[in-house]
Amino acid sequence: MIRDITLGQYYPGDSFIHRLDPRLKIIAVLVFIVALFITSEFYGFIFTAVYLAVVIIISKVPPRFILRGMKPVLLILICTFIINIFVIKGGDVIFKLGFLSIEQNGIKMAVFLVTRLVMLIIGSSMLTFTTKPMMLTDGLESLMNPLKKVGVPSHELAMMMSIALRFIPTLLEETDKIMKAQLARGADFETGSIVKRAKGLIPILIPLFISAFRRADELAMAMEARCYRGGENRTRMNALKFSIRDLVAGAVTVLMAAGIVITKIAM
Amino acid sequence: MSINIENLTHVYNRGLSYETVALNNVSFTINDGEFVGIIGHTGSGKSTLIQHLNGILKPDSGRVVINGIDLGSKETNMAEMRRKVGLVFQYPEYQLFEDTVAGDIAFGPGNLGLSPEETEERVRNAMRLVSLPYESYAERSPFDLSGGQKRRVAIAGVIAMNPEILILDEPTAGLDPRAHREIVNMLTNLHKNSNITIILVSHNMEDMAEIADRLIVMHKGEIFAQGAPEEVYYERNRLLEIGLDVPQPMMFMSMLEKRGIDSHRSILTIDEAADEAERILRGKI
Repeated sequence: MIRDITLGQYYPGDSFIHRLDPRLKIIAVLVFIVALFITSEFYGFIFTAVYLAVVIIISKVPPRFILRGMKPVLLILICTFIINIFVIKGGDVIFKLGFLSIEQNGIKMAVFLVTRLVMLIIGSSMLTFTTKPMMLTDGLESLMNPLKKVGVPSHELAMMMSIALRFIPTLLEETDKIMKAQLARGADFETGSIVKRAKGLIPILIPLFISAFRRADELAMAMEARCYRGGENRTRMNALKFSIRDLVAGAVTVLMAAGIVITKIAM
Repeated sequence: MSINIENLTHVYNRGLSYETVALNNVSFTINDGEFVGIIGHTGSGKSTLIQHLNGILKPDSGRVVINGIDLGSKETNMAEMRRKVGLVFQYPEYQLFEDTVAGDIAFGPGNLGLSPEETEERVRNAMRLVSLPYESYAERSPFDLSGGQKRRVAIAGVIAMNPEILILDEPTAGLDPRAHREIVNMLTNLHKNSNITIILVSHNMEDMAEIADRLIVMHKGEIFAQGAPEEVYYERNRLLEIGLDVPQPMMFMSMLEKRGIDSHRSILTIDEAADEAERILRGKI
């Protein structure tokens, strides 16, 4: 049932990519995205495609798993392709039907944009596939630290995020349990009008809210009982360390970006 | 109603690196009117097993047949089967949502489309069975009750569906001894006074020895042992090996035996142990 939904999308593993510093991975994804957007000619994608392929192969995340994550955005991809193929004009006319026509530049642009989008989505999901949500928030917090000077509560934001992430599986499990319990009492969530179905959610939502508040209360109490005081002078159990591994990965990322910039200038 | 489980297998997260076989080729039969106890560790497959009995989980292979009706068949009316097989989950008090006790218990019968009179009759009857007097509890909020009372309200909510098979997953977990006793007595009476089949999942060996007709021991998704309580507990060492316990009275008798005091072994409850101890003591004098 609801348990089958993969949320957070982490794919457990112990590859080179999995063990990289999350800060480096976040920055690398940003560089990768910028690189995708400054590329304006097709062959520019060679660098990003090779880079992405290498990351996927090293990470050992099965392609089937990656493709499954693409499913929700399939519709957007198809729409982008169709709109571009018809709207962009120029070059030889390939197909004509009434006021609709497909011209050479349209096809070029449509393929170009879809390639960019696919790489964008796969590239950013590689970050979540290979980084535990907790590591991700640690990385974000550390990257946001300089913003503390201008009053951004980076520690608190990261804490809120990690608590939210921590409770997603718990609440999913809880929802699953409550749904099953109400099903066993003859509840029906799937048939009837929208109003009836919305009403059918009440027996799930009320117990779910009650337990979410109870958990929040208990967690706050447990944190206070252990003298939690927020960000000031707090150290971590697993401090983030920048290693040779990260240096290598960083260098490869810089090379990829340099390749893109050079081809761009040379053109 | 009788239950027939044939070669039931269930796998979670099939095809992923974290796939787990929760049930592996499990077969057994439960007869009409029997009181069966299922014991096993956390993760031994008990909860997965009972969720197959009313069709909330579907088998990956194998069959679940209840009173001759195959739950896997497309023609089976699942709503009807869910009414006949009442399932009380662990910590059922977390499913309460109405603002009155009576309203919450009426949720199940209401879903069956019964008339208001009949629903009220069902609610009164269910509350009597879990010994919560209708007059003093019907209009109270379930959230103001004690843990044990909340749990009884939740169990009443399932009983009000008039199931022919009642399955309870750890109904006494986390309760104080008195609330625990009340639930056990309630189950004993329910089984005595109506001829419904009851399946109880529990860790509590004493309870099981006292009330179950038959035990099924689960271990790592397979049936480890089954039979009458005295037969199952007789193989004490095997149970201890997989981290399960045997009832204290049995431990007591076997310790007496070790010290050279002869007794017979089919002692399960404290009462029987006391009688036996008395007999031995009197014999000595």
